[in-house]
Amino acid sequence: MRYADFTPYDIILLLQGLGVTLALFIGTTLIGLAIGLLLAVVHHYRIPGCRPVIVVVTEALKNSPVLVQLFLVFFGIPAFLHIRMTPVEAATLTISLNTAAFAFVIFRSGIESIDRDQIEAAKVFGLNRSQILRLVIAPQATAFAVGPLVGILVNQLQVTSLISVIGVFDLTKIGNILNLRTLQPFIVWAVIGLIYYIAAKTLAHVGGRIEAALRKSVKWGGI
Amino acid sequence: MRFWRVIEPYIGFLLQGFALTIAACLLAIAGAVLLGALTASMRSSGNKLVRGIANAYGDVFRNVPFLVQLFFFFYGLPELGIYIGAFETGVIAMSIAGGAFVSDVILSGILTIDAGVIDAAKVSGLSRVKIFTRIVLPIAMRVSVRPMGSVLINLVLTSSILSTITVNELTGAAKIVAATTFKPFEVYAVLLVLYASLTTLLSFAISAIHHRLNRFMTGG
Repeated sequence: MRYADFTPYDIILLLQGLGVTLALFIGTTLIGLAIGLLLAVVHHYRIPGCRPVIVVVTEALKNSPVLVQLFLVFFGIPAFLHIRMTPVEAATLTISLNTAAFAFVIFRSGIESIDRDQIEAAKVFGLNRSQILRLVIAPQATAFAVGPLVGILVNQLQVTSLISVIGVFDLTKIGNILNLRTLQPFIVWAVIGLIYYIAAKTLAHVGGRIEAALRKSVKWGGI
Repeated sequence: MRFWRVIEPYIGFLLQGFALTIAACLLAIAGAVLLGALTASMRSSGNKLVRGIANAYGDVFRNVPFLVQLFFFFYGLPELGIYIGAFETGVIAMSIAGGAFVSDVILSGILTIDAGVIDAAKVSGLSRVKIFTRIVLPIAMRVSVRPMGSVLINLVLTSSILSTITVNELTGAAKIVAATTFKPFEVYAVLLVLYASLTTLLSFAISAIHHRLNRFMTGG
């Protein structure tokens, strides 16, 4: 047996890589959605001075390459502020903010999709601000936003492959290691691609089911 | 201005990288449109097998990260005995990935055309070529300017990933500058603003073209 051959241990290596990719994806998604939602709410209430800042920052994040953002956070910020940052911290920070920028736009249009009349009517009924947000805006905005959000998240799952460039041992990095050891790029990258493909398809499928479930309550069910 | 002081000696070098980015994007968009048009026509074909192949291509290349696709070609092509440079590999990978998205845009552009419009053109005695160039193309282009524009913008952002296979386009050049000056924050901050302004300008241009092509439409 040569050292270059595939071994059963490689499967564990691949699973480890997949675990890192999925953990980072889920973590950054949760943080990103929370920040995006917060930004959309701040934007909605027109807190003075916040609107232009939010719009400029999210547009910059959406319109620049994630790779450059990763380099700025991983190499730039530690050099500028003289702090230490591990690759995982830099990756989490960058991908979270990136997801937040896309989520903000979707949540904002979700909130704007709600008729002003509904909010007026809720005010007339004596609901206070937080009640209007929780009972009137949130359910409808969520149902509106789920479809586009699933699309963005499938995309963000693929974006996480870039964190291998700054040295996070995710699925793509494992692919790099196996590729260099076995020198069989066709098999290695096809397998890595297949794993990403299955993950993306599963995510899209689950997202579709959630969307269908949320839309059910929006549909008119008769009396 | 400290950012300018860091960047200034390397402006020429960065501009070279920028030229390479532009070249890669132009070649890739041409390749993507060719491949996308071919795929779109295959997807609207009556043959089940042809349709299946085209759909599978689009599905796979949209659901696998571009970095993985790029490595597949970069390390895989020499295995097949095809020895081409990193830049060429990058352009090919971008064209193939872009083609998957462009085929969607073209297909939905063609599908928006009412069959009645084409029937009317046939009855008026227009030749098939005339129908395509005077009726189908103008209508399809009107609706596909915006989605095509966002594919182009995505290609510009994607081109930064070519720096991982040793192509010294804008991001690759900036990596070298950051390593030489030991000022990564300044270099990458400028780079981020550059990319953001480039893509913002592009999206303004796309909006302008969209309005120009749709100037006869009312309410749109």
